[in-house]
Amino acid sequence: MGNSGVELIAHLMRRAGFGATRDQLDSYAAKGYEATVEELLNPVGEQRMGDDLIRRFHPELSGMLAPNASGENWLYRMATTSTPLREKMALFWHGIFATGYPKVIHGKALSDQTRMFRHYGMGSFRTLLLELSKDPAMIIWLDNQDNHKDAINENFGRELLELFSMGVGNYSEHDVRECARAFTGWTIGNREYMELRSQRDSDWPYGRISWHFEYHPEDHDDGEKEFLGQRGRFNGEDVIDIICKQEATARFISRHMYSFFVANEPPVPEWPDTPPSNEQAIEQLSQVYFDSGYDITAMLRVLFKADFFKSPTSWYAKVKSPVELVAGVLRLTGEIDRPRREMLDRHLQAVYMGQYLNNPPGVEGWHEGIDWLDTGTLVERVNFATQQMGDPKKPGVQAMISNIASNAVGGISPERLVGECLDQMGAISVSEDTRRVLIDFASIGGGSAIVPGTSDQQARQQIAAVLQMVASTQEFQRS
Amino acid sequence: MTTSETKASAEFLEYFMTLGMTVMEGRGFYYPVDTAIGQDSRLYVVNRSLDNVARGVRVTMCDIDSEYYGNFGSFGNKDGQFEWPSGGAIDSRGRVYISDEQLHRISVFDHSGAFLSQWGAHGSGEGDLDTPSGIAFDDQDNLYVSDTYNHRIQKFTADGRFLLSFGSQGQGNGELNLPWGVTLDGNNNVYVADWGNDRIQKFSPQGDCLASYGASGIADGEFQRPSSVAVDGEGYIYVADWGNERVQVLDPQGGFVMKMRGEATLSKWAANFLSVNEEEGAARARANLDPKIEYFVDVPHEESSHIEKFFWSPVSVKLDRAGTLFVTESNRHRIQVYKRSAS
Repeated sequence: MGNSGVELIAHLMRRAGFGATRDQLDSYAAKGYEATVEELLNPVGEQRMGDDLIRRFHPELSGMLAPNASGENWLYRMATTSTPLREKMALFWHGIFATGYPKVIHGKALSDQTRMFRHYGMGSFRTLLLELSKDPAMIIWLDNQDNHKDAINENFGRELLELFSMGVGNYSEHDVRECARAFTGWTIGNREYMELRSQRDSDWPYGRISWHFEYHPEDHDDGEKEFLGQRGRFNGEDVIDIICKQEATARFISRHMYSFFVANEPPVPEWPDTPPSNEQAIEQLSQVYFDSGYDITAMLRVLFKADFFKSPTSWYAKVKSPVELVAGVLRLTGEIDRPRREMLDRHLQAVYMGQYLNNPPGVEGWHEGIDWLDTGTLVERVNFATQQMGDPKKPGVQAMISNIASNAVGGISPERLVGECLDQMGAISVSEDTRRVLIDFASIGGGSAIVPGTSDQQARQQIAAVLQMVASTQEFQRS
Repeated sequence: MTTSETKASAEFLEYFMTLGMTVMEGRGFYYPVDTAIGQDSRLYVVNRSLDNVARGVRVTMCDIDSEYYGNFGSFGNKDGQFEWPSGGAIDSRGRVYISDEQLHRISVFDHSGAFLSQWGAHGSGEGDLDTPSGIAFDDQDNLYVSDTYNHRIQKFTADGRFLLSFGSQGQGNGELNLPWGVTLDGNNNVYVADWGNDRIQKFSPQGDCLASYGASGIADGEFQRPSSVAVDGEGYIYVADWGNERVQVLDPQGGFVMKMRGEATLSKWAANFLSVNEEEGAARARANLDPKIEYFVDVPHEESSHIEKFFWSPVSVKLDRAGTLFVTESNRHRIQVYKRSAS
C-alpha cells in the first residue's frame, strides 16, 4: 500500500494526539515516523489559541465560576495545540487521578491541576506524584485538609496506593494508615475559609480565589512509621520514594499506558484477577520505568516505537473517548479559528456523549473502550460527527471538499470518491465491509456518484454527503 | 528629572473605594466588562455573565454611593437582549448604547433602560461590523466603534449612519490589531487601545494617526494587551493594562506617571453580604488574604487570581466629570474607584 507510511503516522496521531489533517500528515510523513515520535515527545514552540484571546472573549474561561469553564478552556487547547501529546498525557493523567467539580467546586483549581499534568505529565513519575500530593484540588477532592496529626483521614493515602500507583492487593490496611500519617499537615492555605466557600459554592464577594498548597509542620505526624516493609519517620515525600520503587507501581502505570494508547484493558477493579492482555508489553514498559528512573517520556518512546503499537492489528482497536472525538473533529473542521461561542456547545456535546471534563463519574475516572457506547451516546456521536463534517461553511471541510472537487473535474468514480474522502479525513483505513457500504452510498445513495457534467455546486454537495457518511463509520468513531 | 518622574508619585491617584460584588442577577455584577457613566453620574455596568444564562447578561444601574436602580437586558437576540455585550456609552441626551460582539450590533436604551432601537450588520464592508467592542461618543453625538475583527475604528451617527472608518490590520502607525477600548479627548481626538499591538494610538477626529504610546512589555509605560483607555481634561492618559493586570497613567506626552496593581476593600454590598452570612464573614476575617505564595507561574494573571485585592482582568477605565477613575474588573466583579489627590 503506497500510503502505508501515512496511515501508520495517522494511527500515531490518533493515539498520541487528536488526529491530524491530511496536510499535517504529509508534513509528518516527510519527516518520518521516528522523527515524528521524537517531535511529539519533545514538544517545543507550541502554537495554539492564546489564553489572551480566550480570556478576552470568554471572561468565564478566565474567572471560572461555573462547572463547565475549566473543561471548555481545556478543549480549546486540545483543539488548537501544535503539541497534542502533552494534552493527551494531561487527559491520560486526568483519567487516572480523576478529580471532579461536584466536590471541589472550583474551576480554577481544576484547571490548575490540568496545568500541573501538562507540565509534569511527561517527566518523572515521582515528581508527578509529589505534585499531585500538593495539588489543592486533589487535597480537597480526597479530604487531605482533614488529615491531621491527631485525627488522620485515610482517603488520600488509600487512593494514592489503590488508584494512583500500585493497585489493590499490593499493600495492607496498615500501609494505608501509615501512608495517611505521612501526609498529615499537607493542606491548602486559608483552609477554613476556602473549604467553607467550596462547600457553599460561594463566589462572594469577589469571585473565586485561587488555592495554594501549604505544609503545616505543627500538624504533621513526625513519628516513626512502617510502610511497605520499611521503617522511618517518613513524610509524604519519603512515602512517594518507596512507592515509586515498587514493581507493582511500574506494572500499574505500564498497564494504564498500554490501555490508553494501545488497546483497552478491563476496568482497574478487575486487574487483580485479570492478567494483562499483553504481558510482554507490560514487562517491557515496566523495565523502561526502572531503567529510566521513572521517566514517562522514556516509556512513551518505547511504546510508540514498539511493534505492539505500530501493528495494523492495533489500528482502530480503541473507541475514541468523547473528548477525543470532539477535539479531533474540531481539528479537522478548523471551526475554532478564533474564540467562538460554538466551543461551549462542543464541550456540551462531549458531555452528552458521556465525558464531562473535570467531572468524572468517580474516583476511578471513566470506563473507557466499548463502555463509551450505548444507544444514546452512539446516536450523539454519529449525529455530532456527521453534522460537523457535512458543514461546508467550516474552513476545514471547505478545504477538503475543494481538494476532492479539484480531482473530480470531468467526473470521478464512486470508488475513487470514497477513497479521496477517506484520505482527506485523515488517511483513514476502513474494512472491506465499510468500504463497500460507502461505495454503495456514493453510487446510489442520493445519486452521489459524480459524473461528467455535474455542476460544481452539485459535486460539492455530493462530496459533503460522502464526508458525512465517512464520519458515521465505525473507523471514524474509533482510534 | 523628567516631567514624568516629577509626576510619578503615588499621590497622583489615591484609592477611594470599591463598588459591587459577584451576583448573578439583580443588585451586583457578573463579569462586568465596561461601565458607562451618565451625566447624572449614574453608572451603567455592562455584565457579560455566562452564555445562555438569561438573567445574568444585563446592565446594572447604580451609583458611587452603591444605590441600586435596577437592571435591564437579558441573554438572547431579540430587541433589548444581548449575547456578548461589550462596551457602553452615553450620548448627550442620556441614552445608553451597548455594543454586542456576538450579534454585531449596537442597542440603544433610554436613561432608565427601556429599549429604543438597534443598528448594525455583520460583515466587513463599509459600515458593517465584526465583533464591535469599545464605543465612545464625540461632542456631536457621533459614535466611534472599535470594530474588532475588522481591525478598524468606524464612526457613525447616533442612529447608525456610517460616517468614516480608519485603521486596518497591521503593526504600523495607524494600523490596528483587534482594537478594544476607545475614547475621545476634549478636542475629539480618538484614543484606541490597540490590544493586539500592546499600545495606545491617538488619532485625529478624521482618523489621522497622531501618536503611539507604549510597547510590549512589563516595564513602566509598557503594556500587555491594553483593553481600555481614558483621557482627562488635562490630557493625562489612563490605561487598563489588562494583560499586566494593572492600570497605568501617562502624562499628555505619553510619559509614564504611575502604575497601580489594585487595593480593593469591601464594597458596601460586599460588607452587607458578609455581615448577613456570619459564618463566612468570620472565616474570612480569620483568613490571610495577602499570603506569600510560590506561584506555579509567576505572571500577573496568576498573582491576581490568588490575591483578591489586586486587579484581576481590569477591563475598563472610565472617568466621570470630576475626574474620578472607575476601574471595572471582570474577574473580580467589582469596580475600584480612584481619585486625583488634592495636591
